Amino acid sequence: MCGILAVLGCSDDSQAKRVRVLELSRRLKHRGPDWSGLYQHGDCYLAHQRLAIVDPASGDQPLYNEDKKIVVTVNGEIYNHEELRRSLPNHKFRTGSDCAVIAHLYEEHGENFVDMLDGIFSFVLLDTRDNSFLVARDAIGITSLYIGWGLDGSVWIASELKGLHDECEHFESFPPGHLYSSKSGCLRRWYNPPWFSEAIPSTPYDPLVLRQAFENAVIKRLMTDVPFGVLLSGGLDSSLVASITSRYLAGTKAAKQWGAQLHSFCVGLEGSPDLKAAREVADYLGTVHHEFHFTVQDGIDAIEDVIYHIETYDVTTIRASTPMFLMSRKIKSLGVKMVISGEGSDEIFGGYLYFHKAPNKEEFYRETCRKIKALHQYDCLRANKATSAWGLEARVPFLDKEFINVAMSIDPEWKMIKPEQKRIEKWILRRAFDDEKQPYLPKHILYRQKEQFSDGVGYSWIDGLKAHADLHVNDKMMLNAAHIFPHNTPTTKEAYYYRMIFERFFPQNSARLSVPGGASVACSTATAVEWDAAWSKNLDPSGRAAIGVHNSAYEKHLVNGNLTSKIIDSMPLTNGVGTPGLTIRS
Amino acid sequence: MCGILAVLGIADNPQGKRPRIIELSRRLRHRGPDWSGLHHHNNCYLAHERLAIVDPASGDQPLYNEDKTIVVTVNGEIYNHKELRERLKSHEFRTGSDCEVIAHLYEEYGEEFVNMLDGMFSFVLLDTRDNSFIAARDAIGITPLYIGWGLDGSIWFASEMKAISDDCERFMSFLPGHLYSSKLGGLRRWYNPPWFAEQIPSAPYEPLVLRKAFEKAVVKRLMTDVPFGVLLSGGLDSSLVASVASRYLVYSEAAQWGSQLHTFCIGLKGSPDLKAAKEVADYLGTRHHEFHFTVQEGIDALAEVIYHIETYDVTTIRASTPMFLMSRKIRALGVKVVLSGEGSDEIFGGYLYFHKAPNKEEFHQETCRKIKALHLYDCLRANKSTSAWGVEARVPFLDKEFINVAMDIDPEWKMIRPDLGRIEKWILRNAFDDEQNPYLPKHILYRQKEQFSDGVGYSWIDGLKDHANKQVTDAMLANASFVYPENTPTTKEGYYYRTIFERFFPKNAARSTVPGGPSVACSTAKAVEWDAAWSKNLDPSGRAALGVHVAAYDEAKTPAINGPSKKE
Repeated sequence: MCGILAVLGCSDDSQAKRVRVLELSRRLKHRGPDWSGLYQHGDCYLAHQRLAIVDPASGDQPLYNEDKKIVVTVNGEIYNHEELRRSLPNHKFRTGSDCAVIAHLYEEHGENFVDMLDGIFSFVLLDTRDNSFLVARDAIGITSLYIGWGLDGSVWIASELKGLHDECEHFESFPPGHLYSSKSGCLRRWYNPPWFSEAIPSTPYDPLVLRQAFENAVIKRLMTDVPFGVLLSGGLDSSLVASITSRYLAGTKAAKQWGAQLHSFCVGLEGSPDLKAAREVADYLGTVHHEFHFTVQDGIDAIEDVIYHIETYDVTTIRASTPMFLMSRKIKSLGVKMVISGEGSDEIFGGYLYFHKAPNKEEFYRETCRKIKALHQYDCLRANKATSAWGLEARVPFLDKEFINVAMSIDPEWKMIKPEQKRIEKWILRRAFDDEKQPYLPKHILYRQKEQFSDGVGYSWIDGLKAHADLHVNDKMMLNAAHIFPHNTPTTKEAYYYRMIFERFFPQNSARLSVPGGASVACSTATAVEWDAAWSKNLDPSGRAAIGVHNSAYEKHLVNGNLTSKIIDSMPLTNGVGTPGLTIRS
Repeated sequence: MCGILAVLGIADNPQGKRPRIIELSRRLRHRGPDWSGLHHHNNCYLAHERLAIVDPASGDQPLYNEDKTIVVTVNGEIYNHKELRERLKSHEFRTGSDCEVIAHLYEEYGEEFVNMLDGMFSFVLLDTRDNSFIAARDAIGITPLYIGWGLDGSIWFASEMKAISDDCERFMSFLPGHLYSSKLGGLRRWYNPPWFAEQIPSAPYEPLVLRKAFEKAVVKRLMTDVPFGVLLSGGLDSSLVASVASRYLVYSEAAQWGSQLHTFCIGLKGSPDLKAAKEVADYLGTRHHEFHFTVQEGIDALAEVIYHIETYDVTTIRASTPMFLMSRKIRALGVKVVLSGEGSDEIFGGYLYFHKAPNKEEFHQETCRKIKALHLYDCLRANKSTSAWGVEARVPFLDKEFINVAMDIDPEWKMIRPDLGRIEKWILRNAFDDEQNPYLPKHILYRQKEQFSDGVGYSWIDGLKDHANKQVTDAMLANASFVYPENTPTTKEGYYYRTIFERFFPKNAARSTVPGGPSVACSTAKAVEWDAAWSKNLDPSGRAALGVHVAAYDEAKTPAINGPSKKE
């Protein structure tokens, strides 16, 4: 990732302003430790902090078209840049950077080129010929982006809140899949896939089509000139990513430069379920596996840093971000600059445990759509900012535009969880990679059930966080919570604790509003809370609350002993009792 | 490098101080981006931000002795750690880190072990058995260290001022070669080499002895488990470092990263350094990386440079900026360690003003003074400009053994004698003048000094001055002595840097950590007396000495002297 900051039309071209822009841009330096660039044109500033992944030697930003009339500062990776370059035969490119193509596409096609880009991106483009500008963010919001407005009439754009929150009267998260054009002065959506309207699709499930689409998504993300690896928690999603990557690595340019053996990374408290599961997958795939252990104290010591970086007070996001944040530092210290990660699968396929209670396929489908649309506030935000904090880039193949189209056009009947037919969550994805002759993963891993991320790193992690919050937030404070924090009032001491830290870093009202809230059970949207009457009474943000659901959903349908043990394995927290045969809890 | 922070003897609610310590330690994270560690014991905290160079997998700090009663947070490299481990046969080591030996040495020898360490280091050691502690800094001050005092009776130590400047009532630079012991409650010097007394030595010049000593100094600095390279400006010092390193690389641990040496150079496009370095790199067959910067990029970086370097000294800032920019690029390539040529000019009297040294006694004393002040100038620059981006600079010229050898030579040999064809640093050049197996081509070996800030491109300093002239008005400068009574800036450039420094470090104590006083072309105040004309024209750059230079040579020019000409 890189960090971008743009100030447009601030009516101030003084040295003092330049110094201020430099200072603000520096707040995004963690995203792009390799170099910085600042372009100034009158009272417009485009700043860039670069993480060099493609063309490290010459791709410093901002980037220009041939005659330098069009300037662009980009955070992102354009996977189809070579193809796009070929579509622009009469253009001369100044660098080998994948993002250079943006300036040229604009020159050729005007504002309507954004959908041609395949990748993750946030950019600001300044056309110095008429001083107009254009801002866009990728379809799902994998890269982070914020927009703000100054009282002087300026428009501010930054990869992270911290780049602009001190200077803007109002700011908000830049909606994913949108485009801001200074000519029209407003935002419009450029991303218009069939699933967006939430109409129920009817394409039959074809395992091989799904498999192909996902393989393509992974392969195109192997475009890199620097060392890389995969985040491997040992769950289904990350294991599939690792399996495909190691299968196709051999032929790629990346392998030629950095060796054909894949590096995989896992973090956890000592003895945690993820560490064990990931080790098993890594052994099976033969990756160079790196395990990182952290202690609850390490995690707690990092919380402030995590909230500063992630820019949220959402409890599950903070819980899950912290181990990822710690791991990213270790990964970066090994010289690795890019990792491939499994985010998005649970949203697309309805992998969260509460999906068991979806009343019908229509509700199921619409919930997946809502979840995908909200990803930029949750898992995308986490994956992007937890890694970018240390100059590490996360790529998420499940959120490939093409793959989403394929996966979201399948009749959702197939996605429904049907224990009677032995279809557990994400069954269509598992089934698609169930290749007898050339197995991607051993069966028991392929059909292993979900471990919620924050539990997977070790059961005492969340308990430790709660205990720590209890020390810092007393009952009186909780009583006043609704008066102090009328918006998104924290309902637990843990939430209150995070909120205090957040407010210290980002005291503005706009900052508070940039974080989502509302009722949720085990990561559901507020609408899905209605699926079960019992839920609205017990709103625990973690995955644990849904375990009761999980249990009850299964108990009566258990048909096969083999499956039984697997289900129990995945729910060691039920009643806080260890399950026999489970080595992870001594 | 790493970043260390220690707070000892917090009076009130030590437990509650934890988040603050973490926050302050974070200010040193650029020095150690790889991991952080914090040890809390009673009313003491030892924090560490780690740059993993030796034993990246297990050497996270703080480090402990066997029974964990002794805790130490270290920034440094101990080159003789294997040898020291050998001596501690009865001790069981927990990690492969070179710094762990410190805890064990203390256990074995008490406070008297510091001189046994060969390397660069700053550390704070806490003995939890009696809650006593010691802090020490390497001989010359290659690693930075500050000491501060809180109003609650606490003592603070930190690698950089920025970690303690807000919380201490008073703080200062920790003297190099010194040790602070809580038992004594004060500082004492542990470094006591023969040259320190500034007596005039008399050992005859032996080229091969000098060469050997320097080769050893370079070779021991090839101890690394991560990719490394050499900063190569193309001048004598860096070229010798590169030559020796590439010659011995194959035999070292560092060869795990390939036996071709990486070299790095920065300059404005077309600058003298870039050209000179390219020539040396070609000759040595290194994998050479050239970085170009623009004057605007340099100016845009100034505030950040001053924040990192923590000085308002004009020459230091001028020279730090290109080094700071280059370090970022080096780090972006994945390189974590570089060897650099600092210290040679001080040891051998390489600055142009040494031409005017009236006699060998004055010459020698000035070199001694220069070495003692290194921690405020070139060591500070080299360490902090690289550490800003998590790159570690190692400086073989400041090897303890090498300094002893070089400072033991009768200074008569160091004197600049155009009549005998001896230019600056002649004894060093001559030591590496090997006809059979040349280290460098003759014309490079005998090339004359380019002041660092000029070498990156002549328009760099002019650009800085122009920029400062736009920011600082005559009226501002006229009031300078009232606004800044201490170390009053005498130029607009000096004033400009000062305003930036004061913004980051507004306390009196911060101001006092920076040296001042009259100087010509990097001389000490004492040496300004060598020429009556100098005291009237105090320009901190090397250019002022140029008149001296040209005048000194014009009569006695020998064919050996063909440095890049710049006689305007």
